[in-house]
Amino acid sequence: MKRKRIVSNAVKNGLLALYALFALFPLFWMVLISFKSDAQMFNTTFIFNPTLENYDAVLLRTDYFKYFIDSIIVSVIAVLISVLAGVPAAYALARYDFKKKENLAFTILSFRFAPEILVVLPLFMIYQKIGLYDTYFGLIWVYQLITMPLLIWVIRGYFEDISVEIEHAAQVDGYSWWQVFLKRLLPLIKPGLVSASLLAFIFAWNNFTFPLMLSGTYVETITVASLKYIASDTVHYGQMAVAATVSALPAVIFALLIQKHLVRGLSFGAVKG
Amino acid sequence: MAKIEVVNVTKRFGKFTALKNINLEIKDNEFFVLFGPAGAGKTTLLNNVAGIQIPEEGLIRFNGEIMNRIDPAHRNVAMVFENYALYPNLTVYENIASPLRSPLYKKDNATINREVHRVAELLRIDHLLERLPSQISNGQKQRVAIGRALVRDPNVFLMDEPLAHLDAKLRHYMRSELKEMQSSFNTTCIYVTHDFLEAVSLGDRIAIINEGSIIQVGTREEVYYTPCNEFVAALVGEPEINLVDGRLFVDNGKYYVETLEKGYLLPLPESSGIVRKLVDSEVTEYHIGFRPNNIKYTFEKKDGLIRGTVYSFESIGNKAVLIAKVGEKYIRMIAPNDLKVKLDQAVYVELPIHKAIFFDAQTTNFIGTSDEAAIYRLVQEQLSKGVQ
Amino acid sequence: MSKLIIKNLYKRYENKGKKKTQPNDFAVNNLSLECEDGEFIGILGPSGCGKTTTLRMIAGLEDITAGDIFIGDQRINDLHPKDRNIGLAFEDYALYPPLTVYDNIAFNLKAKGVPADQIKERVMEIAPLLKVEDLLDKMPISLSGGQKQRVNIARAIVRRPGLLLLDEPLSHLDGKMRQALRTEIKRLHNEIRCTTVYVTHDQLEAMSLADRIAIMNLGVLQQFGTPMEVYDDPANEFVAGFIGEPPMNLLKTTIIHHDGDYYFTFENSDLRILAPRRYYDLLSDGMQVKMGVRPTDIFVGGPDSKGTPVKVAVFEDLCSERRIGVRVGDELVMLITEDDTRYRQGEMIKLEVNGEKTHLFDLQTGNRIRPNK
Repeated sequence: MKRKRIVSNAVKNGLLALYALFALFPLFWMVLISFKSDAQMFNTTFIFNPTLENYDAVLLRTDYFKYFIDSIIVSVIAVLISVLAGVPAAYALARYDFKKKENLAFTILSFRFAPEILVVLPLFMIYQKIGLYDTYFGLIWVYQLITMPLLIWVIRGYFEDISVEIEHAAQVDGYSWWQVFLKRLLPLIKPGLVSASLLAFIFAWNNFTFPLMLSGTYVETITVASLKYIASDTVHYGQMAVAATVSALPAVIFALLIQKHLVRGLSFGAVKG
Repeated sequence: MAKIEVVNVTKRFGKFTALKNINLEIKDNEFFVLFGPAGAGKTTLLNNVAGIQIPEEGLIRFNGEIMNRIDPAHRNVAMVFENYALYPNLTVYENIASPLRSPLYKKDNATINREVHRVAELLRIDHLLERLPSQISNGQKQRVAIGRALVRDPNVFLMDEPLAHLDAKLRHYMRSELKEMQSSFNTTCIYVTHDFLEAVSLGDRIAIINEGSIIQVGTREEVYYTPCNEFVAALVGEPEINLVDGRLFVDNGKYYVETLEKGYLLPLPESSGIVRKLVDSEVTEYHIGFRPNNIKYTFEKKDGLIRGTVYSFESIGNKAVLIAKVGEKYIRMIAPNDLKVKLDQAVYVELPIHKAIFFDAQTTNFIGTSDEAAIYRLVQEQLSKGVQ
Repeated sequence: MSKLIIKNLYKRYENKGKKKTQPNDFAVNNLSLECEDGEFIGILGPSGCGKTTTLRMIAGLEDITAGDIFIGDQRINDLHPKDRNIGLAFEDYALYPPLTVYDNIAFNLKAKGVPADQIKERVMEIAPLLKVEDLLDKMPISLSGGQKQRVNIARAIVRRPGLLLLDEPLSHLDGKMRQALRTEIKRLHNEIRCTTVYVTHDQLEAMSLADRIAIMNLGVLQQFGTPMEVYDDPANEFVAGFIGEPPMNLLKTTIIHHDGDYYFTFENSDLRILAPRRYYDLLSDGMQVKMGVRPTDIFVGGPDSKGTPVKVAVFEDLCSERRIGVRVGDELVMLITEDDTRYRQGEMIKLEVNGEKTHLFDLQTGNRIRPNK
């Protein structure tokens, strides 16, 4: 019995290690080449002279930080707006009965169905006409397509899981509606709110199509900026790798921080007492 | 503490009318039970009193003051919900303390601490105060929910089927405990239940409600001994009352009812005044109700008893229910637990005509009862109320 | 129609979680039962006691860890469920929604290839027994809960099984419906006399239906006997507390010896009960045991009664009977009376306990302490 278990555990762990290697290798490769000079890019694999010249070039000698800050401004504000508008919307969808409720809910979700490339051309024309092209507000606005549906659908599930009697109980206890919402409901949806917001942030951060088409000179996000290292004559893989590595950092750090939260938060029913 | 009045209240949900012109007057400090089957509108009525819902028509008054436009927080009501509705992220202590921390009923920390401990001791949950609701049993959750209401000094204490989700054993035990605590509530209570035992055990008065209408309001004795129609008679009492067809029969100036079999006559007791009632009602076709605990039976043939066969014999705890099949009719009776009986054997049944309740066969409305002891008790009750 | 024999049955679930499997972590632990041909057996216990697991092992829906199950003379451990000749009705009705009631009942027979006229004959034979003859053309969706459960049971018995297994068939029904169907199940068994195993957590159902009751707790059989045996002669404290409504009052007591007699005394209470003589060999001064007494064996004494004066903590008027609760120490002790007198909370009454009807249990093991014969 015992021996069998040891063997099966070994096999399991071996397979998992293999998968980890498979999944993490591209990341590892990217980090690796960010330390390679252009000269050694193609004639070395693991053994080379590591250099910081790519980092120096990207971080200190270009506007990389500006792009980084742009990305943060656009993504964070987009998520904030989605939270402010999405949480009440989710509450309404969960609690009130009104005509065409499910149609509305589905419409919101359907924003996520259409490929971005489909809407981005008309949006480009419209944005140019009304002056939203290449503005922070324009990008934040269009990012709602990404962040809002996610938030509404996750938070709605959370509200539905809270029995309406809990709200009634709190009202009877002597709390006004707003106090009930802030003091009793918000703590209960917090896990969902945190995980959905962070996920929305990561999606917004990683978005490429919208900033590529709807901005470019005044506002530029880091995903688009990474393209700058394709020069007319050569591709600076090393510098691109640096840009990509640094731009991936927030997402990776967040994902690690909230890992536990994320799995628990996104599976409904977590608040049932 | 408050007197609660419900005046002509009608509540609709879309096309469905949940409450139809309800009128109730609940006295100060009274323990008032709303009793009826599932879907009768009991909870809706409670929610309207609490202010969670607002009636389309009619008034809710506390001590004469109209409450319709007052929100739940400002009505100063305490409520216990069927599913407990505890805050899952707060400890038992914080759950109970919640009303005392609200902006409206805010108390200082020392008072909160004292009150929470007082209530927790009363409910025997003082050892659980640091736990979360997910870490305690259903019976304990129920106590916490009651505690959250008891910690206050409300106008009215509303309880919505607080024992319904407990298993049978715990439900009986908690009912007795609730009865024990009743004197410490010190306020008007409205208690919703579908359980007959809870209704009669706890209620000073009981309102029987069905399909959104009040059918009868009365004390335990009134609804049990003089139910206003067959619906109430069937609802109050366990096992259910036996209802058999009967017909008035007069012979030589003596009054009988003919029931069960043609020619089976039961002489109506003269002294109870039931004859007068039956004659005055001008109804001759009745449904006659006999409570199972009043019916006598024997296994030996005896004159004047009607023959049937044993249809079933079921123990219900400390006693048993014997069901006899008489013709096409099933008669339920209470029997001792250890009775030796075989299915389908002959049994002779004595219908206690001096403890019968008569209903109009057409309308199913109450005509009268021949139970003198019951009438005497009801009169006594009326008199003692008068004295008070 | 066959005997059911269960011998040293064990069930252990492989623990998938991180918790280490404990050596005594059995869902069913050394269960042995013998049911006579045509007998109605109730398996009774709280949730998680192993009763449903046992039923599922008999039905073949669950692997057997160790032990044997026989139906008649045949060992059925390794038989496929369909070959065990068992009729099964669960708590959920699980009728096939697109089929009429008739087709639902006939479904298994059709699957077995029984000719249509025989099917009809059998369905018509069963339908009146369960009072579903007027429902045969209806669809399941239009039936009430009670009717669905009747159809469900009809479907289980139409194949004339050797053994009928019922798993909490009444637990989804409301009060009145539950009582009515309980009576019907009893009648049905009387009619077809099929060996039946009925699993329930409701002692009332078990008491009223079963010829013999197997009471289980934590996977272990506590007692197997007729309803009156488990009621009057409980094997241990668990059975005593589980059977009866209200259940037996169970109180921790200290024995004292006084003037040649033994008395039960209780912490923080004046109550004193004369111990029955048959226990005298076993008792000693200062000994501590659990004492149990049924609510029907406690009485309110008259004015010149020698009973202990106590305060009424609860008085419940339940119309056909009255219940009085008194606090003995911290425990609420209930008694039932059909006497018409009303009492008020706080009123003093004299409590008389029929000492002869008391049971004693070991404080540690909960086992019954029986007098030497």
